[in-house]
Amino acid sequence: MISLSDIPARGGSPFTRSMGLFVLLLLTAPFWLEPIGLYQYLGMEIAIWILFALGFNLLFGYAGLHSFGHGAYLGIGAYAFGLFQQNVTLNLWGGLLAAIAAATLAGAIVGAFVSHRRGIYFALMTIAFGQVFWFAAIKLHSVTGGEDGLLGIPRPNLVVGPLKLDISDNRTLYWFVTIVLLVAVLALWRLVNAPFGRVLQAIRQNETRARFVGYNVWLIKWLTFVVSAGFAGLAGGLFAMAQESAYPDVMSLHQSGLIVMMVLVGGGLVSFWGPVFGVLLYFIARDIIGGLTETWLLWFGLMFVIMVMVRPEGLAGLFHVLRTCLPPGPRKAVGPAAHPGRA
Amino acid sequence: MTLFKARNIQKRFGARVVLENISLSVEEGTVHGIMGPNGAGKTTCFHVLTGFYPPDDGRITFEGHDITGRKPHQIARLGISRSFQIMNLFDDTVVIENVILALPDFRALSFNVTRNVFDDITLVDRALEVLDRVGLADRAWQKAASLSYGNRRALEIAVALAADPRIVFLDEPTSGLGAEATLRLMELIRNLREAYTIVIIEHDMRFLFELADTISVIHWGQVIAEDTPAALRANKWVARSALGDVA
Amino acid sequence: MIELLPHIVNGLTLGLLFALIALGFTLIVGVMEVINLAHGSLFALGAYFALATIGGDWFASTEFGIWWLGLPIGTRYATALAVGPLLAAASGMAIELCLRPTYGKAPLYGLLLTFGAALVVEEVIRLVWGTGEQNLSVPQAINGAFLMGGLIFSKYKFFAAAFALAAIALVWVFLERTPYGAIIKAGSHDSEMVRALGYDLSKLRLLVFGFGAALAGLAGIILAPIWGLRPHIGLDVVIPAFLIIVIGGVGSFWGAVLAALLVGMSVGITGAYAPAWSMMSMYLLLIAVVGFRARGLLGRKSALEN
Repeated sequence: MISLSDIPARGGSPFTRSMGLFVLLLLTAPFWLEPIGLYQYLGMEIAIWILFALGFNLLFGYAGLHSFGHGAYLGIGAYAFGLFQQNVTLNLWGGLLAAIAAATLAGAIVGAFVSHRRGIYFALMTIAFGQVFWFAAIKLHSVTGGEDGLLGIPRPNLVVGPLKLDISDNRTLYWFVTIVLLVAVLALWRLVNAPFGRVLQAIRQNETRARFVGYNVWLIKWLTFVVSAGFAGLAGGLFAMAQESAYPDVMSLHQSGLIVMMVLVGGGLVSFWGPVFGVLLYFIARDIIGGLTETWLLWFGLMFVIMVMVRPEGLAGLFHVLRTCLPPGPRKAVGPAAHPGRA
Repeated sequence: MTLFKARNIQKRFGARVVLENISLSVEEGTVHGIMGPNGAGKTTCFHVLTGFYPPDDGRITFEGHDITGRKPHQIARLGISRSFQIMNLFDDTVVIENVILALPDFRALSFNVTRNVFDDITLVDRALEVLDRVGLADRAWQKAASLSYGNRRALEIAVALAADPRIVFLDEPTSGLGAEATLRLMELIRNLREAYTIVIIEHDMRFLFELADTISVIHWGQVIAEDTPAALRANKWVARSALGDVA
Repeated sequence: MIELLPHIVNGLTLGLLFALIALGFTLIVGVMEVINLAHGSLFALGAYFALATIGGDWFASTEFGIWWLGLPIGTRYATALAVGPLLAAASGMAIELCLRPTYGKAPLYGLLLTFGAALVVEEVIRLVWGTGEQNLSVPQAINGAFLMGGLIFSKYKFFAAAFALAAIALVWVFLERTPYGAIIKAGSHDSEMVRALGYDLSKLRLLVFGFGAALAGLAGIILAPIWGLRPHIGLDVVIPAFLIIVIGGVGSFWGAVLAALLVGMSVGITGAYAPAWSMMSMYLLLIAVVGFRARGLLGRKSALEN
C-alpha cells in the first residue's frame, strides 16, 4: 500500500516529474483549451478548484481530519473579496488579503471548537458550522445580498511596484490565477514535507502516540485547520474574481461534499497530486458527460460509489498500481542509499 | 532518591470506582513492577499516572514537582515516556521516522516549515542508535506496518526510549509474545535498567519476578502489597489473593 | 402565551417525526457503525413510492390504473403506507450490499459511500419524477383544519403526531420485548456476541438496514404533505436526523427521542419569533451540546469517537 506519508524519494524537493508535468499543463493550457473545443474560463475554474482542493487535502488527507464543511471558507473568502472591493477600495492585493484573513479568522474560531475531536464527530461539527455559515450567508441580506449574492464584483488591476496590468479578461486573469496557484502549490509541498507537515501526518496515523511523545496535538490540528481555511479563502477570493460575484451556493453541504468527493476520487488519501486528478475528473465529467446528458451527476455519483467500494485509494492509487504492474524499471529503494542526508 | 510518586489516587468512571486508593513510589534507577489479576485496574492506573486520564483525587509528583492533571504532552516533555499494551505506532511511515518523531530535538522543530525531515543527519544517527538498542537498526527503512509482531513490540519500546525519558512506563510489554521473544525482551530490559528508571505492568509473573526490584500488587483498585519479589513470594496472603499458585 | 400554542404543537409534531427518522438512523449506526447519509434519500424514496402508489399519470390509462384510481383515496393511501416503506426497505438493503466492502475500514468510507448513494438517489428521483415540487394527497378525513380556543390547527399535524407516536411505541416494543430486538441490541454492543450466539451477522445487518430504511420511508410518507416533496429533500432531512442522533447520543433510543423533541421544539419556537432562522436553531443546539459533551445527552462511548 502506498501512503501520503511515504518518504519522498528526493527528500522533499518539489522539482519532481509530476511537478514538471503539472507546471507544463498549467502553462500551456491557454493555447490548447480552445482548439480542443473547451473554453478559456474552464481553465481558470479548474485552477481555482485545484488550489482549493490541495489546501483542503492538507486537512483531509494529510492530517486525516475529515471536514465536510469546507465550502464555507471558500464562500467566506469570496464574500470578503467582494465586500472589500465594494466597500473599502478597489485593490487586488487588498481584496485577496481580506479573503485570506476572513477565512483564516473563521477557521480559527471553528477550529477552536473542533480541534479536540476527530473522526465522525469532527466531520459532524464541521458540517454544523458549515451550515451555520451557509445559513448566515443566505439570511444576512443586507451584507451578503441573500440568495442572489454579491453581484458585479470587479476584477481590479494587478499592481506590482510601478507595474500596472489589466487582468480583467479571462486569459490574463488565468495567468494571474496560475501564478498564485503555483506559489500555493510550492508552499503546500514545502509544508507537508517539513517537520510541521510530518508531525501533522503523525497525528493522522496515531493521535494518542503523538500526544505521548510530547506533541501538542490540539494546537497542531488547530493550526492545520486555520491554514487550510486560509487556502480556501484565497481560492474563494480568486473565485469571486472569476465569477465576478459571490453567492451562498458554494457554501452548501452539497458543494462541501463535492470537494470531499473530488479529493477522494482523485486519490488525495495516497498522493499529494490526488486532488488535482479529482478536480480534473470532476470538471471533465461536468463539461463532457454534462454535454451529452443532463444526468451527468448521476454517473459521477455512481462512479464515486464504485470507487469507494473497490478502490478507495482513488485515481492516484490506480495509477500507482498500473505503474507497478508495468515491466519494472530501476526500483527506487527506500533506505539509507536513497536518503539524501547520507549521500 | 524517589523519582516518581503517586499518593491516594482515585479514579471513577460514572458510578464505577476503578481505582480506589493507589499509592506507589518509584526509586530512581530501579525497575518497578505492577501486577494484579485481570480487571484490577492496572491499565487504568497506568493511564492516570501518565496523564491519559486526570485522577479524580490524589497527587502525582515527579522529581518533587506536582504533575497532577497535566496534559499528556506536557508530562511527556518532562521526561515521562510510555508504551502501550495495544500497539500505537505511526504505521504509514518507516520505522526510523517513528523514532525520529519522538526525539526531543525533532520535537523542537515541530513548527518549522523550511527544512525536510531527514535533513539533519544527527537526528537520523540518533534514531539509528535508539533502534540499535532494541535490535531494529537493520529494519530502519522498512515500513512500520510491515514489521512482525515481536518487532512491533520492540519498536513500541524504541519510540518510548527515543523521547529521552527519565522514567519509562511499559504496559504489558510481553503481551502476545512467544517464549523466545519474551526472553529477548527480558534481556533488553535488563540492559535498559542501567540507563532508565522503568515501571512495568505485567501479566507474566515469572517475567516480573525476574526483573523487578519492587512490585506493587493491585487488587480491587487498591495496592494490597508493595515489596520486593522475594518478600512477596513469602507473603502467603498476597500469593493466594492475587498471584494464584504461580509464585 | 396562547399564541405560542400552535408553534408548540408544530414543534412537537416535527419532533415526533424527527424521532421516527432518527430511530432508523440510530439503529443502523448502532448495529454497523455506519453513518448512513443516504437515510434521507430513503425517506424521500418512501414518499415518492407512495406518490406513485396513490396514483398519477404513469399508469392511469391502463385498465388496472382505471380500476385502481377509482378506489377511494383512503384505500390507496393505506396501501401506499405499506408499499412505500417496503420499497424503501428494498432500496436500503441494496445500499447495505454496496456497503459491504467498507466494513472493517475507517467509518469515513461508509460515510462517503452513502453520501455518493444519496447523490445517486437524488438524481434518479429527478430523472423519474422531475425536478419540480410535488404534493402527496391525503384522505379527506385527516385533511383540513379545525378551530379550538380561537386558534386554527391542522388536522393532519395531529394525525402525523399520533401516527409517529404509535410508530415509535411499536419500535420500542419490537426492540425491548421481542427476541429480534434482543439480537439487534446484542449486535450493537458486540458483533462477536451475535456470531457466538449463532446468528448470521451479515443477514442481521441486511435486515437492520432494511428495517431502518422502512422507518425512514414511513416518516417520508407522513412528512411529505407537511414539507412538500422535492428531489433534494433527502439531504434536507438527513442532516437534522444526523444532528439528532449526535445530540441524543449515538445508539441510544431515548436519546434520539429526547433530542428529536428538543430539536423539533427549538425549531418550532424559533419559528414563532424569527421564522427565517428557525432551521439554524438546531445547528446551534448541536454545537452547544456536542461542544460540551461529545457523546451526546444519553450516549455511551462509541467507536465513532476515534
